[in-house]
Amino acid sequence: MASESSGRTFQEYLEHHLQNLVYGPLPAGHERKLYSKGEDEATKEAYCQEKNLDYDGEKYCKETLTEDGWYLANNKTDVEAMGFWAFHIDTMFFSVLLGGIFLFIFSGAARSFSLDKPTKLQLFVEMMIDFINGVVKGTFKAAQNSLIAPMALTIFFWVLLMNVMDLVPVDLIPYPAEVLGIPYLKVVPTTDLNLTAALALSVFILYLFYSVKSKGFIGFIKSISLHPFGPWMLPANLFIEIIDLIAKPLSLALRLYGNLYAGEMIFLLIAGMVSINLTSFAGLGLNLAGITLSLIWAIFHILIVVLQAFIFMMLTVVYMNMAHEKFEQH
Amino acid sequence: MNLNATLLGQMIAFGLFVWFCWKFVWPPLLAAMEERAEKIEQGLKDSEESAKKILDAEEQSKKMLAEAKKEAKKIMDNAKNQSEKIVEESKNKATEEKDRIVGSAQSEIEKEVVNAKKTLEKDFASSVMSAVKKIVAKEVSMSSYQDTVDKSLDDFRK
Repeated sequence: MASESSGRTFQEYLEHHLQNLVYGPLPAGHERKLYSKGEDEATKEAYCQEKNLDYDGEKYCKETLTEDGWYLANNKTDVEAMGFWAFHIDTMFFSVLLGGIFLFIFSGAARSFSLDKPTKLQLFVEMMIDFINGVVKGTFKAAQNSLIAPMALTIFFWVLLMNVMDLVPVDLIPYPAEVLGIPYLKVVPTTDLNLTAALALSVFILYLFYSVKSKGFIGFIKSISLHPFGPWMLPANLFIEIIDLIAKPLSLALRLYGNLYAGEMIFLLIAGMVSINLTSFAGLGLNLAGITLSLIWAIFHILIVVLQAFIFMMLTVVYMNMAHEKFEQH
Repeated sequence: MNLNATLLGQMIAFGLFVWFCWKFVWPPLLAAMEERAEKIEQGLKDSEESAKKILDAEEQSKKMLAEAKKEAKKIMDNAKNQSEKIVEESKNKATEEKDRIVGSAQSEIEKEVVNAKKTLEKDFASSVMSAVKKIVAKEVSMSSYQDTVDKSLDDFRK
């Protein structure tokens, strides 16, 4: 859809959809490029002039920065120039919004909790609490920790809500946003590795913290050095256990990211089919096929969305359980 | 796809969300749910107890009813006996009274008869005497026939 109307090729459409809205520092002397809109050169040049920018004669408006400052990235070169201290505004906005919605609903239910006259929302919340509580009680048995269940609840619902954004049609939010002047917009926060890695890293930090807390520092060192072959093969043990350790956050982050990114990608590819013009017979057929495929993939994706949220939550609880286990000599 | 400071921002956001959920969402909800569970348990126990109580009460009321029936029957029987007795007694009394009244009437009658006889006798004697006197006055003195008259009167009395 968007690829036709904004005069982009399909390749550009894909890249556009897979680029976050980045806000970061740019140094003086950096040349910024802005994609120019228009049918022919004259309108493109007019578009650039309207924004007080130079036109490069092909596709872009150009601007050379005269001083350091924080900017929204217009394209990949901007993003690369920004380096580490850049923020994905869209990811942060949508994730915090969705997390806020989750907490709003649940804390609202907690505040207006009625013992004998529950609302439907309250019943839903109770069901979810019961569900999470059941999972945590069934899996987390090594110790008592009041943090685990609420963390599992937060992870499950936050990730679920963020994943559900994947079911929103791919252009529904980004296209109007672009018309309003927001150059890029990715609405599914879990398709951003930054978010999944942040979750996984947080869980990993808690894992290390509780491991050291329950086993003691020495116990923790022992647990990664004396397993699985015994003290006489210490280097091999260390090698295996450290890989095992690092694999935990890595797999956690990449599993969620990969699943959702791939899902989003497929939605985009299907959307690309739909964008072909409607005048020809073949074009009409492709459109119908695209709509059907989109529907099928969306229905299938509902499963993935819930499953990935559940897996992330479940693995977190499992890791927390492992962290709380006392070190045992085998 | 590159990692950048978003990672740190998201970790902070995640930490805040978990903390909020840990402090303000999970404990009140779980506590309320546990309270409800307790209430339900208590309610079930109470209802069981009250069902038992109802059963007991029913049995008791049945017993009481049976007793009351017995009592009522007893009272009825007593009343019947009593009334029969009273009827009998009044019958007896009435018979007695009747006998007494009849007896007294009879004696009264007899007395009357005697009185009447006496009066009749006196009247008759005097009228006879006056008649005799009238007759005798002409021929004989009264005293010579007094004995004969007295004798005849004695005969009459008999």
